[in-house]
Amino acid sequence: MPSRNAKSWAAAPALPPTHYTQGDIYRDEAVFEEEQARIFEKIWRLACHESEVAQPGDFRTLEFAGKPLVVVRGLDNVVRTFLNICSHRGARIVHEPAGNMKSMSCFFHLWRYDLTGACTAIPRSEAYETQRLDKSGLGLREVKTEVRNKLVWVNLDDDCVPLAEYIGDALEAFEHVLEENDLEVFTYQQATIDANWKEWQETNLDLYHEYMHVALRKTQIDPSAMNKRELRVYPNGHIRGGGSGYSANYESYDGWEKREDSKALRGLTASDFRFTHIFPCSSMNARGTVLRISTFTPLNAHQTRIEWRGMSPKSDSPEDWEMRTEHYNQYWGPFGRNVPEDLVAAELCEWNFGPGAARYQIIAREEGMRGQDDGFLRAFYQQWSTMMGRLASQPMKSQ
Amino acid sequence: MSVSRDDAANLVSRACTYLDEEKWSAFLGLCDPSFCYRVTVRSPEIKREMVWFKEDYTGLEAMFSVIPEHLRRIGTLFRHTAIGSVEAAGEDSAIIRSTFQCIHTDLEGRSRMMAAGRYIDDVGSTEQGLRLFNRETRLETRDLGVGSHVPI
Repeated sequence: MPSRNAKSWAAAPALPPTHYTQGDIYRDEAVFEEEQARIFEKIWRLACHESEVAQPGDFRTLEFAGKPLVVVRGLDNVVRTFLNICSHRGARIVHEPAGNMKSMSCFFHLWRYDLTGACTAIPRSEAYETQRLDKSGLGLREVKTEVRNKLVWVNLDDDCVPLAEYIGDALEAFEHVLEENDLEVFTYQQATIDANWKEWQETNLDLYHEYMHVALRKTQIDPSAMNKRELRVYPNGHIRGGGSGYSANYESYDGWEKREDSKALRGLTASDFRFTHIFPCSSMNARGTVLRISTFTPLNAHQTRIEWRGMSPKSDSPEDWEMRTEHYNQYWGPFGRNVPEDLVAAELCEWNFGPGAARYQIIAREEGMRGQDDGFLRAFYQQWSTMMGRLASQPMKSQ
Repeated sequence: MSVSRDDAANLVSRACTYLDEEKWSAFLGLCDPSFCYRVTVRSPEIKREMVWFKEDYTGLEAMFSVIPEHLRRIGTLFRHTAIGSVEAAGEDSAIIRSTFQCIHTDLEGRSRMMAAGRYIDDVGSTEQGLRLFNRETRLETRDLGVGSHVPI
């Protein structure tokens, strides 16, 4: 086949508009700002596991859609989330990533808030009386928060649909795992990478890239079972992989040992491999003995911060903890065999899409929603298109 | 005979040079067969000690053998160390505490710090000379960007 000249290189692929993306989607600042407003300020995003805010007063801070949030369990045992911004001068109130507090006190002028977000104290407040400024109208901005399957979810949109309606049945492969295992976070890591958030998410949704991973090639890809691997798509752009055809033989990788069913999490076998992505940025992955919760936050058009939580049963013995740590790290740790490869892949795409050198991505594999079909990517971009009001193949053109 | 500061510094320096140059066999040649390598870090997010990497001598050997098959970040790592203390831990052994910065340099020559932390090395005199028995790489940095396929 001949190479292409500038004109044919710049021309859109001869594919349905749902089967490719156009490069401006990864680099245009206006697209990024619109994504923040039309997607990230509208969707339910996983904030943390409930065990991270187990006791009254426990809190956890995070950044999302450019906003600082603090998730806190109130003295009434209700988990709430607030913008971590003082009503007075806009200062960050809670600085630590996690801890326990009785109230929230701003360092700057000592304005104080209780754990329901009400402003309870303003030093020398009488000076505001002439302007009729009263602490009853100066509470923190509360953010919609729901707890489901021991996961804490937040939504910046006051008018959002309930979490159950947003997720639907999409977490069905994990609900029993989350409920039957009394889990806690045993390892946590984050990575800031130089890539657009969609370049990162594409590595999660693209089954065809399995061949890039030596560990997957050796432990997981079974060509004879490829057509058994079903890709399931749910409403609102959520997806699930798992079940028949999804399994791993870890001992096939040099230096790794077989994982024992007796050590698998309840509801899983040791060789089980399954994942669910809740559009656009919350995920669950299970590999028999370990469960991972992933989220990410787009920082700007060219940077993304990803967070991973490794989950283990609270009842683990020190030996089990060590085993689970090893299993988690093999694939998913910062020195693991898989995650660094995925991160590098996203950055290498950014190298070309960031400056506008690459023009299109092809997401046209069709295998009847089995094997390495690009159906997950098309489902993701279909939801993106619905929320953005334009096709991913024409990101600069509003419909 | 106690471990001298010079010998300790030479061992840490050679270990870093071999890792920088990806001379895996030479690095393992500095390690006793009972060697264990761990990367540890404390998470303020979950208020726990974490182990991000742990391999013994055999595990490292197996891991090093498959490194060429993996996709890795392009460029080199450079480990800059400063020896802190060398404390005797027996007649022929010592604990060396060093600080390090691990710097990534890309193909265009741009360097960026990837990680900072401490090496805590258990070393001992053997018939082959001074050898590493245990290394704990204690990280200060918790966001490692794309991470690494090789020990820091």
